[in-house]
Amino acid sequence: MKPPIFITIMLTVISGTMIVMTTSHWLMVWIGFEMNLLAVIPILMKKYNPRATEAATKYFLTQATASMLLMMGIIINLLHSGQWTVSKDLNPMASIMMTIALAMKLGLAPFHFWVPEVTQGISMSSGLILLTWQKIAPLSILYQISPTINPSLLLTMAIMSVMVGGWGGLNQTQLRKIMAYSSIAHMGWMAAIMMYSPTMMILNLTIYIIMTLTTFMLFMHNSTTTTSSLSQTWNKTPLITSFILVLMMSLGGLPPLSGFIPKWMIIQGLTKNEMIMMPTLLAMTALLNLYFYMRLTYTTALTMFPSNNCMKMKWRFECTEKTTFLPPLIVMSTMLLPLAPMLSILD
Amino acid sequence: MMTYIVFILSTIFVVSFVSFSSKPSPIYGGFGLIVAGGVGCGIVLNFGGSFLGLMVFLIYLGGMLVVFGYTTAMATEPYPEAWTSNKAVLGAFITGVLAELLTACYILKEDEVEVVFKFSGAGDWVIYDTGDSGFFSEEAMGIAALYSYGTWLVVVTGWSLLIGVLVIMEVTRGN
Repeated sequence: MKPPIFITIMLTVISGTMIVMTTSHWLMVWIGFEMNLLAVIPILMKKYNPRATEAATKYFLTQATASMLLMMGIIINLLHSGQWTVSKDLNPMASIMMTIALAMKLGLAPFHFWVPEVTQGISMSSGLILLTWQKIAPLSILYQISPTINPSLLLTMAIMSVMVGGWGGLNQTQLRKIMAYSSIAHMGWMAAIMMYSPTMMILNLTIYIIMTLTTFMLFMHNSTTTTSSLSQTWNKTPLITSFILVLMMSLGGLPPLSGFIPKWMIIQGLTKNEMIMMPTLLAMTALLNLYFYMRLTYTTALTMFPSNNCMKMKWRFECTEKTTFLPPLIVMSTMLLPLAPMLSILD
Repeated sequence: MMTYIVFILSTIFVVSFVSFSSKPSPIYGGFGLIVAGGVGCGIVLNFGGSFLGLMVFLIYLGGMLVVFGYTTAMATEPYPEAWTSNKAVLGAFITGVLAELLTACYILKEDEVEVVFKFSGAGDWVIYDTGDSGFFSEEAMGIAALYSYGTWLVVVTGWSLLIGVLVIMEVTRGN
């Protein structure tokens, strides 16, 4: 894509999300979502093969349907309240429609079917934008309407998403599909806490974005898209191998790493609101996620897969791959746990 | 007949929506869109929005649908599917019309029905009171507002139209 066009399109993607996040008029929210969707389509189709076109088409169809549902919810709200202001007292019917529409945009179960297929069909960098930036806008609207969301609807979708994200990712070897199921599971965790403490949802989103950004950048550095090519990283860049180990453990939510902070806070928030079964189920199904992250770690850093002998005697050239911002991101994805007491300023 | 003109136009509106939702070939779907657009204009005109109705006729029908018709004619297939070509399209069309008829009968049978909002009989279709409009036409005031304190909306819509063109060019580039 020619640079001026690429800059214009990226500008529109960013400004679409900014409009959704900062506006107080429901029509502008819808316009922001549509601007974002329209401009992200050529980014998804950066590689000119039929698979990318199919992925972009699937993304467009599901997101357009979700925007239509959102518009229906907006108009029902207009009918019952007589004004267009984004406020927290929504008509219950409008709230249900908007929740379902935003769940479709995020990829929460049972509307998750597009996420693995779209993520697999596009290039790694497009997948990065899809799984991180595109989650910000719907979650900001859910944050704003969180007092009026129907609890049973959202909690059902949350628990189903974590289960689907866990079991769906078990049989995958393609890295993009693994990251897609990881995204579904994390969205489930975020939806679970939205009713009780939207601030923890923002915390989860921030840490999830940092970790997913780092994961994708490490994968792009090696140009790997499958587990088997990831298993040859030890020879190419041994440092990346150890980073992937620590990062996968952080994504799985293991304690001394920063991926543990959101899970801890969410379980604390849920138990303080007298829900016992829910955080138990969430924590148990998160173990499924941890299993396939561990499998990636095992193939990458803990064992040497069979390869031919020539591979071990590599002529090393200087690395020309740009690793913009990668060191701070890796530090932020793994070492933020000691800062967790700072969360007390939120009360 | 003039008292029921909105009702008649709404019926034709719904039937033409069903006609292109039953997925015939784009040529025939475009015909359904044209009828729907024209009749929709008529409904807007009946509520006093003369300027907006005329705009839809000129720009939407006379500009966008004409371009759509030409591009569909360029990309058409040798044996396009009409509504009577196969059982699938005809079945979808009949299902749609039947669903609309049953909804209309359900709404008309009861005295007062609440589907999303309260609706009490065929009278609500004939006279829809939108409140006291005063001396100014609401539609003209709305258009004036778009260019005075609605400037940001004009900027955003103009930018979106430009991006629409750029995106379409980028998507159909092909290399």
